[in-house]
Amino acid sequence: MNGNKNAPIFALNNIRKSFADVPVLEDISLSVEQGNVVSIIGPSGSGKSTLLRCGTFLETADGGDILYDGEYAMKDGVYVDKAALRKFRSRFGLVFQNFKLFPHYSVLKNIAEPPMLQGVSREEAEDRAMGLLRKMGLEGREKAYPSQLSGGQQQRVAIARALAMNPEILFFDEPTSALDPELTGEVLKVIRQLADEHMTMVVVTHEMPFAKAVSNRVIFMAGGVIVEQGDPISVFENPQEERTRQFLRVFEH
Amino acid sequence: MSFIAMVLKMSEGLGRTCAIFFLTLLFSLPLGMCIALLRMSKNRVIAGVTRFVISVLRGTPLMLQLLAVTYGPYYLFGFNVSRNKLIPVVIAFAINYAAYFAEIYRGGIESISKGQYEAAEVLGYTRLQTFMRIILPQVMKRIMPSVTNEVVTLVKDTSMAFTVSYQEMFTIGKQIANSQTSFLPFVVAGVFYFVFNAIVDYVMGRIEKRLDYYD
Amino acid sequence: MKKLLALCLTAAMVLALAACGGSTSGAGSSASSEQAAAETEAAGETQTFVMGIDPEYPPFSYMDDDGNYTGFDVEICQAVCDHLGWEMKVFGVNWDQKLVQLDAGECDCIWSGMTIVKSMKESGYVISKPYFYNTQVLLVKEDSDITSADDLAGKSVAVQLGTSGESLLQEDLADLAATFGELVTCDSFLKCFTELDGNAVDAVFVDLPVALSYTAEHEGFRIVNEELGAEEYGIAFRSVDQVLCDQVEGAIAELVADGTYAQIAAKYPDIVSNLIFLNE
Repeated sequence: MNGNKNAPIFALNNIRKSFADVPVLEDISLSVEQGNVVSIIGPSGSGKSTLLRCGTFLETADGGDILYDGEYAMKDGVYVDKAALRKFRSRFGLVFQNFKLFPHYSVLKNIAEPPMLQGVSREEAEDRAMGLLRKMGLEGREKAYPSQLSGGQQQRVAIARALAMNPEILFFDEPTSALDPELTGEVLKVIRQLADEHMTMVVVTHEMPFAKAVSNRVIFMAGGVIVEQGDPISVFENPQEERTRQFLRVFEH
Repeated sequence: MSFIAMVLKMSEGLGRTCAIFFLTLLFSLPLGMCIALLRMSKNRVIAGVTRFVISVLRGTPLMLQLLAVTYGPYYLFGFNVSRNKLIPVVIAFAINYAAYFAEIYRGGIESISKGQYEAAEVLGYTRLQTFMRIILPQVMKRIMPSVTNEVVTLVKDTSMAFTVSYQEMFTIGKQIANSQTSFLPFVVAGVFYFVFNAIVDYVMGRIEKRLDYYD
Repeated sequence: MKKLLALCLTAAMVLALAACGGSTSGAGSSASSEQAAAETEAAGETQTFVMGIDPEYPPFSYMDDDGNYTGFDVEICQAVCDHLGWEMKVFGVNWDQKLVQLDAGECDCIWSGMTIVKSMKESGYVISKPYFYNTQVLLVKEDSDITSADDLAGKSVAVQLGTSGESLLQEDLADLAATFGELVTCDSFLKCFTELDGNAVDAVFVDLPVALSYTAEHEGFRIVNEELGAEEYGIAFRSVDQVLCDQVEGAIAELVADGTYAQIAAKYPDIVSNLIFLNE
């Protein structure tokens, strides 16, 4: 790895993105250090998900830089090498709001196939998958198909699937928003467990208590810009910006 | 001519009927996929031309296409008419059915959510791997009922090979009917087709069931 | 089928008649129409000519939608009678029994797309000159090495479905058909010829008039000089009615000469090319 040891694992510089001339992200910069958990909160339509999608190349930013380990994936709104994006993809994992498991694959195959396509042996990939399932509290469900699982179980499989690629950083795009309230706990518990193991993570979430408890840093976004960021205590208990206070007030009731 | 002799004579043609059927499926199923992919091409010219070709193939009778493939090269360029009629017959059938399969595939592919592509992309799947491993298997399951319909139609359409004098089962039946001034060969043909399709139904049902391992 | 059946039955009947010719009313024993004609003419009455037809043999003789007998033969006969100043009557015979009915005087002729069979002449019936001719020939490309039906062994031959050629190959000429490499049944003559021109078949088995008109319009084809399954249609009269036959033939010749014959024939395009008088 030719990345700088001191460089952040993930960094965005001045990211811009518009959809049909409507700006969604305006000049966003952030960086995530090794072992940190960063939560991104904010109202719907504030650009949180778009930010994650730009960082994971699902959307192409209009301008700015994207760096992994100090290495440019995008510079000034241009991918440095389109063919090399695959190399960058292996450094991160992404957990979607709607799980997006492959319905025709068993749980085991969902988790084991992606590493196998990267050259990991079947034996090793399946061993790793079984270990992750145990960790996710899904022992014995490896032969099940996604449709036979609850939403919470599916999302835990999706997390295992992302982890199976041994990512340096894990992105979560509202991982509990599609779940029934009684099922969010099991997913949040897993994420918390990963945080305890110092997994580097960026979590877009509406779960304020969770963000407050788990994060090293909280970013509040609104209208396509970062309004405020800092450690959870200061953002949640002593917000500097009126916009932040307004947003947090809604959650107190 | 005894009833038994009639059935035996028509059975001779049944082999040719089967040849049309299986060879058409063999070529049209993959060809249909190629056409579907061209039809969904981001290049507007390719997509537009393909769309036009599909509409011609679906908008003109198979019988005309059989004539065009069999005799067209002769009328246009003076080429020899093929002695082995199975060749032009299978070409015409395969192209025609590919057009129908292409639209079925397209419908199936477009019904798969964008999320499946995105999930595969971030997990490092190449475009080909995404299509072959993630999209296609799901498409297959969804389109099976429509494909079964086409396959059943194909069994009956084989009789159209008569247009270009390919001596398949129904052609022989017609000849016997003519010389014997009897309607019986048509009844026999009807029974043949029905049994053929009963087998097709059974096989397609088994395939659908095998694809039904997930919801 | 029907024609063949009729032929067999006729032949059988003629044999039966010949066998007991002495005792029963064999050909010629009944009253001559000539005598009758002479008598009626003397009496100043119009002669009546009774035409014996198969009422279900289009396009030669059949019943039209209004219930009147018509058809090519019926129309020609009407023209003949008009020409000779006779009154015409149509009598529908039972085709299997037609010669018996002719002998019995129920009609004066059998004139209805009747195939001339050798045995008719042998039994003494007066048969007109054939007026309709049909035969199957082989149409090949000019440079083909096929010169007779024997050369067809192993070759590909096309025939049109539903034609007499096709029935012949399935029945009378089945032995010949068995020597073919392949018998290709097309649903139109055009396709037969296209197959031939496009070298997909080596010969087309086809009605002579069709082959004639095709070779007249297209170059590069040749008709093999061998007729297969030839047949001719004629008019049968009682053995004593040679004069009557001559009168009818004479009238037909004049109708041919003045164009009436062709006019009537034009209404029956399917058979025009096989009419001997118009294609001589």
